[in-house]
This record gives sequence, C-alpha cells and structure tokens, in this order.
Amino acid sequence: MHQPAHASFWIALLVGIASGSVGPFILLRRMALVGDALSHVALPGIALAIIYRFDPFYGVIAFLLAAAFLIFWLEGRSSVPPDAIVGLLFTASLAVGILMIPNADVIESLFGAFPVLSLPLLLAILLAALALSALCFLLAKRFLFLIVSPDLARVHGLGRGYDLALLLIFAMIVALGIKLVGTLLMGALTIIPASIAKNLAQSMRRYVILSAIFGGAISVAGVWLAESFHFLPGPAIVLLGVALFVVSLPFARRKTA
Amino acid sequence: MTGETVLTVENLSVALDGLPVIHDVSFTLKQGEAVAVLGPNGAGKTVLFRALLGLIPHTGHVQWRSDVKIGYVPQRFSVDRSAPISAMEFFLLQSPNFWRPSAAFTAQLDEELKLMGLQRSVLRKGLGELSGGETQRVLIASALLQKPSVLLLDEPTAAVDAGFEDTVYTLLHRVQIDRGTALLLISHDLSVVYRYAQRVLCLNKSVVCQGPPVEALNPEALATLYGEAGFYQHEHGPGHEH
Repeated sequence: MHQPAHASFWIALLVGIASGSVGPFILLRRMALVGDALSHVALPGIALAIIYRFDPFYGVIAFLLAAAFLIFWLEGRSSVPPDAIVGLLFTASLAVGILMIPNADVIESLFGAFPVLSLPLLLAILLAALALSALCFLLAKRFLFLIVSPDLARVHGLGRGYDLALLLIFAMIVALGIKLVGTLLMGALTIIPASIAKNLAQSMRRYVILSAIFGGAISVAGVWLAESFHFLPGPAIVLLGVALFVVSLPFARRKTA
Repeated sequence: MTGETVLTVENLSVALDGLPVIHDVSFTLKQGEAVAVLGPNGAGKTVLFRALLGLIPHTGHVQWRSDVKIGYVPQRFSVDRSAPISAMEFFLLQSPNFWRPSAAFTAQLDEELKLMGLQRSVLRKGLGELSGGETQRVLIASALLQKPSVLLLDEPTAAVDAGFEDTVYTLLHRVQIDRGTALLLISHDLSVVYRYAQRVLCLNKSVVCQGPPVEALNPEALATLYGEAGFYQHEHGPGHEH
C-alpha cells in the first residue's frame, strides 16, 4: 500500500465519499463559497510544515480547524457580515502561504499530487474519512433541521453546537483530501458532487446518498485519468466533476418543470 | 385542564442591538383558549414569540406550566425552494429514526395529516412544490405531532391564498376544541380575531389593549395601534390591513 497509485485510489474513494456526504449540508446552508475558500487557509499550514520539517498534514488540520471556529464565531455575531471577512482572510492566507512556500513545492501545494504517505498515516486518513462520512449520515437529521427552520430546531432542543459540528467535520474532510487534490481545489471537491446530486435527487435522503456516491466515483475516476494521462490528480478530479455537473443540468430543469 | 394557566408573562422586555423592541409586556394564556396577538408591522409580534420560546435574550418573567408541550408554527421554511427535501422528510425531522421511520411514527403522522385535511400524496412533494395552503397545513401538522398543549402560530395565513385562510382557521379551531390545545396566534386579520379568538393582545412595542375582542378593540385602541388612519370596528366584514 506504499505505492502512491494504490494509496491515491483509496484516498480518492474514501475522501471522495466523505466530501460527497458533507457537501449537501454545506450547499443548503448557502456556504458553498465559504466552503470553497476554506481550503485556501491550509496553505500557511503547509508552509510552516515545510519550513519546520513536520508532516504538512498536521499544519493543514490545525489551520483548517482554526478557520472553522472562526467562521462559527463570525456567524454568531449579527453585527459582522461574515462573507467579506472570510473572503479577505482566506485570500490573505493564500497569499501568505504562496510567499512562504519554496517555489519547488508551490504547484503541488496548490493543485495536489499523488501522495506518498507512511502506512500508519494512510490508514489514519482512510479511517478518519470513513468515520466522518458515517457522522454525516448519523447527524443528517439534526443538520437538516437547523437548515429547514433554525428556530423550530432550537425549540426542539438543537443548539448551535450542531452548526459547529458541521463546520468541524467539513474542515477535517477538506484536510484529508488536500494532499491529493490541493489547497486551491479541495473545497470544490466538497461542493461539486453535492451540486450534481442536487440536480437529480427529489428527496434529502437520496440527495445525501447520491452525493456520496458521486464524490467517490468522480475522485476515483479522476485519479485514474490523471494516472493514465500524467495529469495532476486535483485538476483531473475537479474538471471531471464539472463536466458531470453540466451533464446533470437538464435533469434539474426537468425536475422543476 | 381547560382554564388552567399555561403561560404567565410579566414585564417582558426585549432589546436588540441596544434598541428596545418590546417593552413591559404582561399577559396570561389559559389552557384551551385562543389569544390573538395583533399589531402593525414592526410592532414586535414575532420578537415576542421568539422571546417566549427562549430563542432571544430578554428581561422580565416568562413562566410556562411545568408539564407544557409547546408546538411552534413558523411562517415559512428557511430553506430555498430548489432544495430536494420532501414533505415526508420535514415530518421525519421529528422521528427518532430519520432513515427508517417506525410504523408507530407513520401512523401518528397519518392521523395529523387527516386532521389537517391533507392527502398522503403530499408527503412525496418537495417543500418548494407545496402551495401556500399546503405549506401552512404541513407546518401545523408537524407541530401537532408532539401533541402539544400550546400552539404558537406566527401569521398562519400570511402565505395562504385568499379563500384558504378560513380553512386554516377552521382546522385550528377544531384542534382547539377537540384537543383542548391553547392557541397563541399572530394575525393581521381582524375578522379572524373576532371570529376565533377569545382574547386579543394588541401590541405596538408595548401592550396597547387586551381583553375580549369586542371590548378591547374599541376605536381609540385601534387608532393607537395602527395610527389615526387605521381601521375601525365593523360588526360585519371588518377591514383587512393589506
């Protein structure tokens, strides 16, 4: 399992499924753009890891979790419009990261690569992806309740803790996929499968299941394409996903007709 | 249990961002009665509900009876119309098992659908596909699932087509009579208030008048509530605000 290709396929499958599982909730909370930009925050984490010689994964997860807490805090303050701050801060961290990362590593950090991982870290990533997917399904009802009617959900005893849980799950899934898909594109991997599934599904339960399937399938197919034609995996996955989204558009029109 | 007090509110005040929104509101709600909250836009009616439900910080005293079960009917869903969420799934938000509901839950749901005059086929529709009247009845049926002793309704006919308003109120009236449920409802519609509410609470930041509609809604009170150009009481066919 040390070989990059095998590892990449497994990461693509399980992180793809996890991305697809969390995507519908991010999309329905109208956080697609925030989610997309969140992955940029990982870049300074990668830079610090390169400079101080530790595994970039730990830098990535620390910065992403901090960003998730920040979004949660901003959302709770009615006086501050979160989008502008999130947009500025995330773009700034992208700029800081680019300045700090040595030139040789920039492309890989931005667009991903076939990761070379120690077996324990690979297994940890795969297990975490499985666990986070399962959490999305287990908490689906609560996440959905807060989306459909936040006031009603609170009357039923669901607190803001679930909003935070969703953001943290989302940040961790982004962290798991960043090595393969890259900091610029990983956010998109969580949004694309959910966008395709939304065009096809008529119910929430089917929506989440379809999105998880598309997440896994697009990622595995993208890695296969990248390997066969010597592309970077990140752009291959994202472009394949966007192509599928275009194909799914007529179904959305038929659904609303 | 009819007649027992389920809610006592004393000197309730709410300020949002430092600005007072409602001030010094006091009233009670008894089991089995319908109380209408009346007032112009921006009078703080929804804010009052949110304070009663403990959703926003407030000062003063809100005392629910200890065994009270509150059903809340918001005005609408917060999710956009394109979201692929079926009406069934909206009900399932209250089921212990979202992915595979139990037979007991489905049976209880059927009972509430019947009470609200909804066909089972409505369950397959997306939330965005429901008409205004269906949305309102789905919201009420969902609130009834927990067999509440009190229903709080925020303008239950705001999005309902004209002509359907009476249907919604007739259904609510049936819930009040059959189950002894107390109703606290925000309404713009004076005819509804006269027909269905035993008491009225006129709110414009603070309480302008309260009591049985025929007594409380005198010309002076209505003028204070809506301004001099507001409405006056008619015995038949009172005016609408819109």
